[in-house]
Amino acid sequence: MGAQPFTSPVEDSVPKVGEGEKAIAVGENLEFQRKWWRFERVVWAVFLVILVCDVMGLLGRGWLAKAKATTPELTLDYERVARAGTPSVMTLTFGDGAIHEGKIRVYVSDSVVKPLGAQRIAPQPAMSMVGDGGITYTFDASRAPAVVQIALEPSFPGVHDFTVKVEGDQEIDGKVLVVP
Amino acid sequence: MALFVVLRAAFGYLFLVLMVRIVGRRPGKQLTPFEFVLVFYLGGLTLTGMVGVEASLSSAVVQIITVALCHYVLAELRFRYDWVAQLLDGSPLILLEKKQWRTKTLSKMGIQDDDVMDMARGQGIKDLSGIKTAVLESFGEITIVPEEEGEE
Repeated sequence: MGAQPFTSPVEDSVPKVGEGEKAIAVGENLEFQRKWWRFERVVWAVFLVILVCDVMGLLGRGWLAKAKATTPELTLDYERVARAGTPSVMTLTFGDGAIHEGKIRVYVSDSVVKPLGAQRIAPQPAMSMVGDGGITYTFDASRAPAVVQIALEPSFPGVHDFTVKVEGDQEIDGKVLVVP
Repeated sequence: MALFVVLRAAFGYLFLVLMVRIVGRRPGKQLTPFEFVLVFYLGGLTLTGMVGVEASLSSAVVQIITVALCHYVLAELRFRYDWVAQLLDGSPLILLEKKQWRTKTLSKMGIQDDDVMDMARGQGIKDLSGIKTAVLESFGEITIVPEEEGEE
């Protein structure tokens, strides 16, 4: 004998419109739909806010994302909001006081290399030395202004602290928010 | 990080489900060229974020499994709970009933009387007075119930 199918009686479970025998099972739920339309309005508003924030740079790569920190001998331009896996540049502009005997020594914390993903440094330093939780780069230099750029490509989303310090000058402590 | 590969895939899938639901259903049995552009473009853009820099076969396999699992879970929840089904598919909406248009529904869903008449003609109905009820189904098609003879 063959297997018997599993069955259950058909019930009138779908809500109907109309009256009597001419009613049609449509299953409309207008109350839910009105809530959904309200939700859609909110979502479109949120989408608009996200777009405006993006254009302004709150999600990186825009006007509000740019940051500048200065000490007497160093001006640091960077992006306070960066995007993971997306190139970003940290520019160090040195003053005359940063140059000692034709050399600039600048310390950058390890976080610039790892979570902020330093890819290249231009120009190439004459010497690099690791220690004290970071790297000290030595550049040959003549007169100010002298500019060094560090190309970054952050890999980990989150807030990352970093430190940059020129020999004989105050240190700059900054934060970069990396968005996914 | 391996976890990010999974999270990116899950987020990409769920975000697309939301986007497609929000962009809304349009009446018709087939995608218009306009909607084709939307579907392919959304898919392509999501892919760039999902893949990221990890273009390995293992990442692709893991992401495909993640998307399949997300889809299975959503389908299972949709089957078990009516409210999930409604959230994912929406509710069928009456467009015309008792010789009255549901004006708010028509405007919110971007449907015109022409769209309803298009479907009605397909059933041999000559004009709008021959329609008893018109329903926008949750999958986007308009169903026409003709006025029975002698009922008018």
